[in-house]
Amino acid sequence: MMHKKKNIAIIGLGVTKFGELFNQSYDDLVQDAALQATQDAGIGLDEIQAGWLSTAFPEIGVFKGRSGMDLVEPLNLYGIPVTRVSNFCASGADSIRNAANALAAGECDVAMALGVEKLRDRAPQDSIVKMMVELSHPFYQKGFTAAGTFAIYAKRIMHEFGVTNEDIAGVSVKNHYHGTLNDKAHHRIACSLEQVLKSPMVADPLTVMDSCPTTDGAACVIMVRGEDVDKAKHNPIYIDGVGLSVSTGWDLPFFDPKHDFLSFQATKDAAKMAYGQAGITKPLDEIDLVEVHDCFSIVELLTYEDLGLCNAGEAKDMIRGKSTQLGGEIPVNVSGGLLSCGHPVGATGVRMVVEVANQLRGNGGDRQVGGAKRGITHNIGGPGAIASVIVLNKEN
Amino acid sequence: MSYIINYRVALPHYRISDKVLHPRLGRKGQHAICYTDEDIITLAHQAAENLGESVDAVLFATTTPIFKDRYHASYLADLLGLGEGILALDFGTTARAGTDALLMADTLVKSGGTYNNVLVVASDVYYPGIGKETKAPFGHGAVAIIVSSNEGIAEITQAKSYSSSLSEEFKYKGSDTQYDPRFTRTEGFKKNLGLVLKQEEIDPSTIDQVFLNSPYAKIGFGQLKKAGFDLENKLADDQVTVDVGHMGAAHGLSVLTQMMKGTEGTIALFDYLNGTNYIELKTKEIDTSASASKSEPIESYQDYLQLRKQGKFTGKGYQNIDMFSSEMISEREKDTLIHLVGRKCESCGTVYYLKAARCNSCKGSDFKEVQLAKEGAVYSVTSEYYFPNSFGPTNMVVIDLDGGGRITVQQTDDMFPTEDNKIQIGDRVGLVFRKMMENDRKPNYFWKCKRK
Repeated sequence: MMHKKKNIAIIGLGVTKFGELFNQSYDDLVQDAALQATQDAGIGLDEIQAGWLSTAFPEIGVFKGRSGMDLVEPLNLYGIPVTRVSNFCASGADSIRNAANALAAGECDVAMALGVEKLRDRAPQDSIVKMMVELSHPFYQKGFTAAGTFAIYAKRIMHEFGVTNEDIAGVSVKNHYHGTLNDKAHHRIACSLEQVLKSPMVADPLTVMDSCPTTDGAACVIMVRGEDVDKAKHNPIYIDGVGLSVSTGWDLPFFDPKHDFLSFQATKDAAKMAYGQAGITKPLDEIDLVEVHDCFSIVELLTYEDLGLCNAGEAKDMIRGKSTQLGGEIPVNVSGGLLSCGHPVGATGVRMVVEVANQLRGNGGDRQVGGAKRGITHNIGGPGAIASVIVLNKEN
Repeated sequence: MSYIINYRVALPHYRISDKVLHPRLGRKGQHAICYTDEDIITLAHQAAENLGESVDAVLFATTTPIFKDRYHASYLADLLGLGEGILALDFGTTARAGTDALLMADTLVKSGGTYNNVLVVASDVYYPGIGKETKAPFGHGAVAIIVSSNEGIAEITQAKSYSSSLSEEFKYKGSDTQYDPRFTRTEGFKKNLGLVLKQEEIDPSTIDQVFLNSPYAKIGFGQLKKAGFDLENKLADDQVTVDVGHMGAAHGLSVLTQMMKGTEGTIALFDYLNGTNYIELKTKEIDTSASASKSEPIESYQDYLQLRKQGKFTGKGYQNIDMFSSEMISEREKDTLIHLVGRKCESCGTVYYLKAARCNSCKGSDFKEVQLAKEGAVYSVTSEYYFPNSFGPTNMVVIDLDGGGRITVQQTDDMFPTEDNKIQIGDRVGLVFRKMMENDRKPNYFWKCKRK
């Protein structure tokens, strides 16, 4: 398969406060993120020629986000093509991938990718778990939660690689520390290793503090082709590579005797595509910062290996050596990650791109990674089924 | 000629003792009690699974109302994979339904030709009212017996039945008996037993062990003695009632299997309720096959109440969840869901539980069906606290089955979770057939696992 660099620039960035936004509706969040992004790009809404809207769970809100219509309506964008993208936790990144492809194909000149999720209009325990049990297959994995599926990986990795509860909790401590530096994060509370380990168990060995909160939020980017960038007006960040891969199924990892539960094949496959386009061969040397999908702390640990930042079984050493903390060799999740920011599913991938782009612009504030030139974002969805990797570069 | 060639008694894992149920009475018995995911179907399945080959008929006995949910012989036959050509008959209403079924099995086999192997299953799950446990020595369980024209453990030498129309001590709910209940005992039971004992074929002097299964057994002992039975030496102890409680429709058969275990010679069973069944067996030798299964005590009345309540699946964890169940899915996927038929890749040999167009290992597209094993080793495991079952976290277990194939199921019989009894990676586990959560419409049966 050919994976060609697409010559796409991100010129507008917008992200709402993430949290329990009881006073903001789905539409409010769409407007907030979209207007920030168009203002940042210095364009009016009328200049948007096509849109991609990512919302993963419309059923949990008030059925908002079932189609592209729900981006058009709050912004009065009538008369242009808008598509809803739904690909579990990779939805946000996939909306950016689709926008990039349409720009590269010449279908439009200015594209908007917006991710939004409104999860807190219901009690968390009444939402996704209930839906999964009521609507999923009556027999397979009944009652398996997202935490449980990743805990199955965690247990096996602990068994094979000598990863400890402290290593897993270390991810949470690091990301919660980073979160204190991000005023848009859901939780801005630093925590100790002991606090993580002693917090209530969700799915053995993952505790509440190893799990991202249920959060409302939205993020938006405006994208154009490289040649349409107006250097006088824009502060562009370029897309070096985009990879997305569906590499296992919903059920198959749990019913496939060859699945080892030691890595996410989807991440490896998506990284290979994205690195191929970007010409990255030694990720650790060629990337300055990473936003990874730490929905549960164990996922971040595995992802170090899957993204090629270290060899198999060595992720624990990166945490023990603090090399992924701000100021370390390769800072990971300086935004606070999903653990601090929360995880409005459809918005997360876009939020990460906004974070990395801001860092590359040098606008990282207290959490700025010094001299960052190239960064990547990573999402993984389903039980490790779907992953996306986007490489962003200060230069085209 | 007809013979009992195989049998199995299936009991739940948990026991509650009389000491806990009614401490002041000084009784020393135990009661087998269903876990939240057991019912007469799962117990019947456990008793009858792989018990005999080429079964021609399934006779299912229970006093748990038939046709409620899916509790009937045809459903059991389907679960056992016996096909639609099978004769599936239900026996119910009275506690002698178990021996009714055995009697019919004997008749079918002796009728010659069509029925050579008949599976008899008796299964009962009865609860006395809360606080009224002294009134009924309840115990849950099932017994499965294969009656065959081939020689086996014991020959059924006699099987007779006499009917009695009297209504026993039956009461409508909330009303008291308006007549002297002894009427049914003397006029019903004693008269009926007398008719049986008049039979010339019954020769008490040849009987090595005898048992009278009836709530009124004691008032019949005089008649048995008079007829010539040596009750001082030959009356069988009802160890079943002591160990697991009165098993309802399964009780007579359960005592029968116990007698077969301990006796070489002739066994006689009188089973009375609304009539008397008389079964006489001649065993060839003492059956020494293992029967004891591991059990665990419930040590407080509170836990027992909780178990009964949770058995209705109204616990907090499930309270707001209406489980999706679909007759279509159950039916079209039953080979996989119930019979554990997997698919083996013809080119690389990888075995899959789920269907796919191509092998995920070698991309081969030719598969042949294989029977998956019901034992294996734990590959990984977690405890779900966010989706608890009735007594603790729901443990989800990824199992590599012996001979290939992987399955992920819940752990069961985990009423008292501790750090010590937690399932760990590498543990040996077995699959057991249990009920998943149910909604009001249809129970969903699937596999769960237990540590070996």
